[in-house]
Amino acid sequence: MGKVITILAVVTFILLFCSIYLIFGYAHIEKTMLEVQKIFYFHVSSALTLFVAFGINFVFSITYLINRKSNYDLLAASAAEIGLVFCTITLLSGPIWARSAWDTWWSWEPRLTSTLILWLMYVGYFILRSALDGDNKKTYSAVLGIIAYLDAPIVYYAVDIWQEGLHPDRATKWKQAFSMKFTWMFTLLTFILLCVLLILVQYKQKKSEEQHEIIRQKHFGKVL
Amino acid sequence: MMKIVIIVCGLIVLVLFVFVVRVPVSLTIDEVSEAVSDAISKSNISVDEDIVEQSVLQTVEILEKRQSKRIRYLASAYFVIWLVFMLYVVRVVQQQRKLDQRLSQLEQDTSGSQSEHIG
Repeated sequence: MGKVITILAVVTFILLFCSIYLIFGYAHIEKTMLEVQKIFYFHVSSALTLFVAFGINFVFSITYLINRKSNYDLLAASAAEIGLVFCTITLLSGPIWARSAWDTWWSWEPRLTSTLILWLMYVGYFILRSALDGDNKKTYSAVLGIIAYLDAPIVYYAVDIWQEGLHPDRATKWKQAFSMKFTWMFTLLTFILLCVLLILVQYKQKKSEEQHEIIRQKHFGKVL
Repeated sequence: MMKIVIIVCGLIVLVLFVFVVRVPVSLTIDEVSEAVSDAISKSNISVDEDIVEQSVLQTVEILEKRQSKRIRYLASAYFVIWLVFMLYVVRVVQQQRKLDQRLSQLEQDTSGSQSEHIG
């Protein structure tokens, strides 16, 4: 796994440099919001990547409940952690853009509110994990992971369902110039790779921690 | 490995700010005319060259202020994004360090207890 992580890390960082070049050196400047619209590339990409990360958490939570293998729980927890990082980025970069473009830091509109609820649910996921131990921790957090992900479609379709708020129609991002669409797709791909890389790094660390704990318990169990 | 990641993250932030500073000046016709009318209405001009010149200067000033405000928001958004990433990477590095310490402690403990068993 170490080799895969290294290769993925090198590829991701090269792509990140390219994304930054595309955003600031290649993509056209949008006509209404001008330079500040360039927040879009990282903001929307991190928003879509959080669905991928929480989606991985959802899949491995279900797999854990079926197979009861510890590895699936570790993968689910790793994905949730990375999803939370991307969700935090989305929630912090959004208000800066909103302040500049619409002269408001925050509005209790459907998409923003449902994203905040999603973030809070995954914060709750980690509070739950730190409060419990053993199989209880794994089972209850898997259940919470599944329940929390039910909010993801609400976040994604919030604009269509309620048709109000600051966020534009979902189709808007496809109505841009080619250079802007290409830059956004490139940045999205980079973010998804970054997400996979961070999940693998986090999984490897959690696995080592678990193995360390097993060895410690086994060894000192024998000695005592 | 993690040190390299932190250095690369730092480099990305640096490149990012170099690019942000180099964003070209961009003004739309609407924005120019809006700013000119803003400036003219503020200065209450009767057509006079000095006053027109003054209005244009004010216009440029307004536009520059607006653009620097937009660039400030853009830079702060990207700064916040990279700050979150950097803080996360630092946290992962700290966790790894603690784990390494625990592993070396475990190695010492196990080798100590093995020698006790042999003794």
